[in-house]
Amino acid sequence: MKGLFSNRLVIAALALPAIAIIVFAMIIPIGFSAYYSFTDWAGFGKYRMIGAENYVTILTQDPVFWRSLLNALILMLATVFLQNPVAFALAALLAHISERFSRSMRTIYFIPAALSLVVIAKLWVSIFNPTYGILNKVLGFIGLGELSTSWLSNPHTALGAVIWIIVWQGFGWALLFYYTGLMTVPDEIEEAARVDGAGWFATYTKIIIPYLFPVISAVIVIDVISSLKQMELIFLSTEGGPGQLTQFIAVYLYQKAFVAGQYGYGNALSVLFVVIAICLTIMVQRLLRQKGEE
Amino acid sequence: MSTAAIDTPADAAKKLGKGALYALLVLLAFLQIFPLIWVFDYSLQKSGDLFGPDILKLSFAPQWSNYSRAFFDGHIPRYFLNSVIVVSVSSVFSIVLSFCLAYAITRMQWKLKAVAVLCVTIGMVVPIHTTLLPNFIWFGYFKLIDTHLGLIIPYIAFTLSFNTLIYIGQIKTIPTSMEESAFIDGASWPRILAIIVAPMAAPATVTVGVMTFLNNWNEFIMANTYLATDDLRTLPFSIIKFQGQYSSDYAVQFACMFLVALPPLLLYFIFSKQIMAGAIAGAVKG
Amino acid sequence: MKKFVPFAAVMALAAAFSLAAQSAITLKMADNLPDRTTTWGAVVEKINAEFKAANPGVEIVTESYQDQPYQQKMKIYATAKQLPDVFKYWSFSTLLKPLVDGGFVLPLNMSDFSKYGYMPGSLESNVWGGKLYGIPVSADMWVVYYNKKLFKDAGIDKVPGTIEELKALAPKFKAKGIIPIVTDGKDAWPLSETFDQLAWRISGDSTLPQKALDRKIKFTEPVFVQAASELQNLTSDKTGLFQEDLMVSDYGASRNLFGQGKAAMYLMGSWELGLASDTNFSDEFRSNVEVFKFPLVKGGKGKIDDLFAWFGGNYVISASSKNKDLDVKYLQYYAQRFPALAWEAQACFPAQKVQPRANDTVLAKHLLQIAADAKATSGAACLDRSTAQFKDDNQNLMRDLCSGLVTPEDFCKKLDAAAEKAAKQQ
Repeated sequence: MKGLFSNRLVIAALALPAIAIIVFAMIIPIGFSAYYSFTDWAGFGKYRMIGAENYVTILTQDPVFWRSLLNALILMLATVFLQNPVAFALAALLAHISERFSRSMRTIYFIPAALSLVVIAKLWVSIFNPTYGILNKVLGFIGLGELSTSWLSNPHTALGAVIWIIVWQGFGWALLFYYTGLMTVPDEIEEAARVDGAGWFATYTKIIIPYLFPVISAVIVIDVISSLKQMELIFLSTEGGPGQLTQFIAVYLYQKAFVAGQYGYGNALSVLFVVIAICLTIMVQRLLRQKGEE
Repeated sequence: MSTAAIDTPADAAKKLGKGALYALLVLLAFLQIFPLIWVFDYSLQKSGDLFGPDILKLSFAPQWSNYSRAFFDGHIPRYFLNSVIVVSVSSVFSIVLSFCLAYAITRMQWKLKAVAVLCVTIGMVVPIHTTLLPNFIWFGYFKLIDTHLGLIIPYIAFTLSFNTLIYIGQIKTIPTSMEESAFIDGASWPRILAIIVAPMAAPATVTVGVMTFLNNWNEFIMANTYLATDDLRTLPFSIIKFQGQYSSDYAVQFACMFLVALPPLLLYFIFSKQIMAGAIAGAVKG
Repeated sequence: MKKFVPFAAVMALAAAFSLAAQSAITLKMADNLPDRTTTWGAVVEKINAEFKAANPGVEIVTESYQDQPYQQKMKIYATAKQLPDVFKYWSFSTLLKPLVDGGFVLPLNMSDFSKYGYMPGSLESNVWGGKLYGIPVSADMWVVYYNKKLFKDAGIDKVPGTIEELKALAPKFKAKGIIPIVTDGKDAWPLSETFDQLAWRISGDSTLPQKALDRKIKFTEPVFVQAASELQNLTSDKTGLFQEDLMVSDYGASRNLFGQGKAAMYLMGSWELGLASDTNFSDEFRSNVEVFKFPLVKGGKGKIDDLFAWFGGNYVISASSKNKDLDVKYLQYYAQRFPALAWEAQACFPAQKVQPRANDTVLAKHLLQIAADAKATSGAACLDRSTAQFKDDNQNLMRDLCSGLVTPEDFCKKLDAAAEKAAKQQ
């Protein structure tokens, strides 16, 4: 039996195609990227090798880099501790109501996830508009007019507004993951818990969530990485402003590499980003594995 | 004084609770469907109306011409066909390959497993923009630029890692007993994977399938960079056709966006019954 | 002998066919005009159609994207040595110079283009190292558009002549629920142009920013500090002149605020002459949109006919093109037809002399007048005269300044540091 799971030919057939494609289309370009990160290349034309100068600048003289990491961390926390629990609770609810109603609701809840990010960004920029946006109008209507502000350009509210957009858009995905996950929980488990007299809260926290731990782990890791990789929604709404307060690494490296003509610097940011993301992922996975074993 | 409907205060509270719950679900549904209504609404207006004071505009002169413009000037039929080709092919390959890789990582014992896991992790974090210029040159060596294959390959690559992660999470919940008894019965590897494991991983396939399809359907940056010939372009490009140098025809762009969003949503709705049935059947088997 | 004649005939026919096939050339073009059905895009399509008719056997294939993706793709093409034959670009040192330095652009003969009525200084803005590298297509002047009706409704009977008068108008418009003035704050470059313009209005000397870039003077000079201070004051919420979400208001959003009659004035360039004929906007707006010259600064040495203008867009030929002669021929044809066609379509303000027509809009007539009145022009603003990195730094600093996140003095110190860094890289 042991030999069956170490059959070299089968392993190669299963793993090689995928790994080959990842190497071809992602690892080799990152290799190029690492090379360019040691230059002062503007993206075309001549360049010089400047050693680790870009890296030193990023780590010691670039506050925007650290701000981007902080913003990603805040987004991660919001996603894992706010968006996910709500999505899970909603998925649990949807799993226990009539199938037809549930199916319609699920499709509708998924709509923001299916729309292009351009639409989402345009919509929320319009909602947050200080003069015409519906948010300020509603606030004024219910008597909270003093809270009205220019949500996306006010330094105090910009980050919150941007994080809200991202969390809101990703909600449909979280719902999908958790719903399909809940579908895999065998009915017998829930039955057994009910027979034992456990209330729904105990059933969920002591039985179902632990059962779904691998699924939840996968979702959390995806959340962590997505938080770091956020690009389009920020680029299309605040572009990292005001004053770099809503800056995220993927937007920053795009601006440096393609707009500011600092291609080498942008690539150094990319490489650092990949390294940090990998370390963070491994850390989170290890943490979750420990928790899973408890 | 009928007591038939409500027996006890507890039941009344339960009914109220149920009603409140349904109301909440409907309210949430409204908030989620709003963007689609918004896009559709403004796709029927004139371009400048988007920046007006109305959150939704009810006009008695819906500009259906925006849709005919989107359809014809926006080359939608051609781009739609291209999108279907590129996205279907890349999605199928991505799903199958990630499933195989996930199985190898979860079940099999091999020395280079850690390397493979590292590759998968790297594959998750690499930002797309970083790969554009290097790949343009690198793919160019293989004459892949301005071809559909040159788009399919990165589409597979960029979705492999997340898909593998999800499959790993799913396969871990499947007990090895089924595979082991199948081996004892003399089943071959392809049979075990396709007939025994894959159905039990169906819930993950649902998630993976939807994610991969959607991400590639809306993908724009790589399509923009690697394609040049108009006949090869994919659906997201139709929106670009209505951007002028200083002012854009927003209403027609919105019509395009609506048309681009429809196929995935329709597919999701139509197939969710079958998908869920498959997912539940797969779960029951385990 | 009998077999020879048919054989010769076949060879002759084959030779004729191959010659005909050889004359089927594809001209690869690229520009930032994806919409080919209106304004500028439509003008280019017209020119292309005429050119093809006059040159049978020539096919024209065009790739178009919006500004940012377009620049990105052109740079990628340059690196991969696959630039299109003829493409639209910008004359700024941040964009054209790197291409020229890399040897990607074909030098042109000034004499080939001297008879097309180019405005003085226009061809010169494309000259590097004594050679001409492209033909200019648009003359860009920094002006203020305004809505005559909204002015009348607010009880204002004349346009502001100074910045102070402009600020005094704010409460009058606010009282009517109208935004006094709008511009594209999200992209920051309009703020940069205004900064340079203010510096000129204050000092009466348009060469100061270039001198600062050349490190002959510093950006911390009083004139720049005053300009920064004025700019910050103009865009602050307290003055209430600009739209409240100025910093996230992009080009389309701000333009539409003006076009929809929600704002009384629009700070932008002369390329927006099409406002008066844009069918997206109401008849009322179109018949009331006019333009006035950028106001003076009280106590400043600048004059009202100091016109802040530059020649941004141009067409260049790839140095590795296989049909250089055809490309030059195309450019000459473009130079010949563009002014008339563009003016007719009100697509942009050409860099060449145009014949005013009787049915020009009032706006077009006024813009022509402003151009004719100009006693001095500035050339590009400093953000486009240095490196791409300086441009990025400049724009980020403008954003900080106009968001109130930095003082004018600090702003100038940082701008000067950016200029110092850029100078070292040249």
